[in-house]
Amino acid sequence: MADITKQGFDRRRLLIGTGATGLSLIAMPNIVRAQTRELVIGGAASHKPWVETHVVPMFEKKYNARITFEGTRSLVNLEKMQKNKDKPYLSVVQMDDPVMILAVREGLLDPITAAKCPNVAKLKPGTMHMDGMWANYLQPWQGIAYNTNVLKEPPASWADAFDPKFKGRIIVPSLQNTEGLPNVFMMAHLQTGKPMAEAYKDIDAAFAKLRTLKANLLTAYSQMPQAFSLLEQGEAHMIVGALSSFGMQRRLDGAPINMTAPKEGIFPVPSGIAVVKGGPNIDLAYAYVNELLGAEVQARIAPPTFALPTNVDVPIPPGMPTNATIHPIDWAFVAENRNSWVQRWDREMAI
Amino acid sequence: MSGARLDRMIWLALPAVAYLAVVYALPLLWLLGRSVTGPDGFTIAQFTAFFADPFSWRVMGNTLRIAFWVTLLSLVIGYPVAIAMARARGLMQVMLLVAMILPLSIGVVVKAFAWQIVLRRDGVISQGLVASGIWAEPQRLLFTEAGLIVGATNVFLPFMILPIYSVVKLIDPRLTEAGATLGASPFYRFRKILLPLTLPGIVSGSAFVFSMAVSMFVIPSLLIGDRFQTLATLTGRSYLLMRNEALGSTTAVILLVIAVSIVVLSTWLSKRVGRSL
Repeated sequence: MADITKQGFDRRRLLIGTGATGLSLIAMPNIVRAQTRELVIGGAASHKPWVETHVVPMFEKKYNARITFEGTRSLVNLEKMQKNKDKPYLSVVQMDDPVMILAVREGLLDPITAAKCPNVAKLKPGTMHMDGMWANYLQPWQGIAYNTNVLKEPPASWADAFDPKFKGRIIVPSLQNTEGLPNVFMMAHLQTGKPMAEAYKDIDAAFAKLRTLKANLLTAYSQMPQAFSLLEQGEAHMIVGALSSFGMQRRLDGAPINMTAPKEGIFPVPSGIAVVKGGPNIDLAYAYVNELLGAEVQARIAPPTFALPTNVDVPIPPGMPTNATIHPIDWAFVAENRNSWVQRWDREMAI
Repeated sequence: MSGARLDRMIWLALPAVAYLAVVYALPLLWLLGRSVTGPDGFTIAQFTAFFADPFSWRVMGNTLRIAFWVTLLSLVIGYPVAIAMARARGLMQVMLLVAMILPLSIGVVVKAFAWQIVLRRDGVISQGLVASGIWAEPQRLLFTEAGLIVGATNVFLPFMILPIYSVVKLIDPRLTEAGATLGASPFYRFRKILLPLTLPGIVSGSAFVFSMAVSMFVIPSLLIGDRFQTLATLTGRSYLLMRNEALGSTTAVILLVIAVSIVVLSTWLSKRVGRSL
């Protein structure tokens, strides 16, 4: 010890040296972090697999950035934006269109422009909303999912769900879920017999028709995996108003179910993307949006999500309905009236 | 123990008190405040509007009815188990305790998928009832009130058993034996000896189970769906979907008042009944 001290390795220097090494080790990740910018994206929990497989590796490499994807429900993302309005930590949100309307009303979004996202020029008509406040990067569709062990032929019509032979065998989405809302319009159409564009605002007719479905209802789900689990087990025979992005994936996984586009038509369930106002690394946020609106990413994500692309350069993936009538949804009308419909549902559709 | 020493010991509760003050009392105060605040300041309009709506009474009825049946079923099933556990010895007691506590480690969502299998038309309960001749044909319990009660009881049963078990453990078994030697029938011994002595455990267990059953949110969502509203599901929906903080805080306060009242009332009642037994 004495020799070491003579050569300059005294206790004080040893302590300083150890401390400095320790500090540098602790600080190193921060230095690395300082070079790699982070983008926090709020999206749906169900998006996480394809975002992390098809988007994150490409984006992180191309932009030397790190993506953190927070998967939850659209309304929770809205809550996060509201609560952190003064100092947002989310930069991009991927949410359902009706929730986007609420975010626009509360001034939480920055518009997407062709100057910031050149791929906007390649979008199909009707996929940019409210002066560019958000855009649709995909359009999953909504039809009927059915158990193929029970039903050898696909249901031809939405009205098939009312057949008394399906007593207690039909599942519909709750109005809490976005995919529950198009059913209201279809019911109005079935009840009135008028064209959809004329019928969809007749909510009294919609509820009159819905009430006649009560005997056939097994449940109104708020958890989609639970509904598909019941369908796959044969307890339910149909999910009336099922999302292609979930149903087709389950079929691919080997579940005895299939999706069909009934004769009255199907609904697009647009997936929206927007930039959070005042969010961190705004240039990266626009770059991410641009990538999702671009042909390269959409060509990758449309087939595994069983959705229609919104970029005109991307072909419709095989297996998607080609001749079905697609009824656009008046999301502004939905946003205006959803709460009253939910209250009405509670009263008129209760067990 | 001297008064001064007791005073010093009270400081041991400080971390828990501070923790609860931050994560429980403050949000609760905010909730209470929000329920009586309108655009123009203090108001009870939210409460009057709530009670004026017949649907609200239906929701309160749903909440109380389910909580009552879950508590009763937990008591009927749990009471004999608690006595068996307290009287068991050695390995058998350990096995009973593990069998009761282990299911608590499984999440409610996982359990809900298991209940789906148990409660559906071709599930074990339906098959058993058909085989025994009680039901003529298979019926589903899933998405019915009965199914919800069965599922919720499954989750809350340990919270009934444990307080009763801890009380029974303290009872000298020779008391009932002494009753028997004096010629008391088994029912008389149960009514006059065991029941009064276990009453504190029954009250604690019932208070635990009722409080949890009255405020459960995930279990009804998964087992009966949104066509059956309770105060808890209505509160959750008001905040998460309808973004109606006024309604959410109002229903939350009503739920709190109901739960606290029932617990206080049952404690008071048990003391009265205990004295009269």
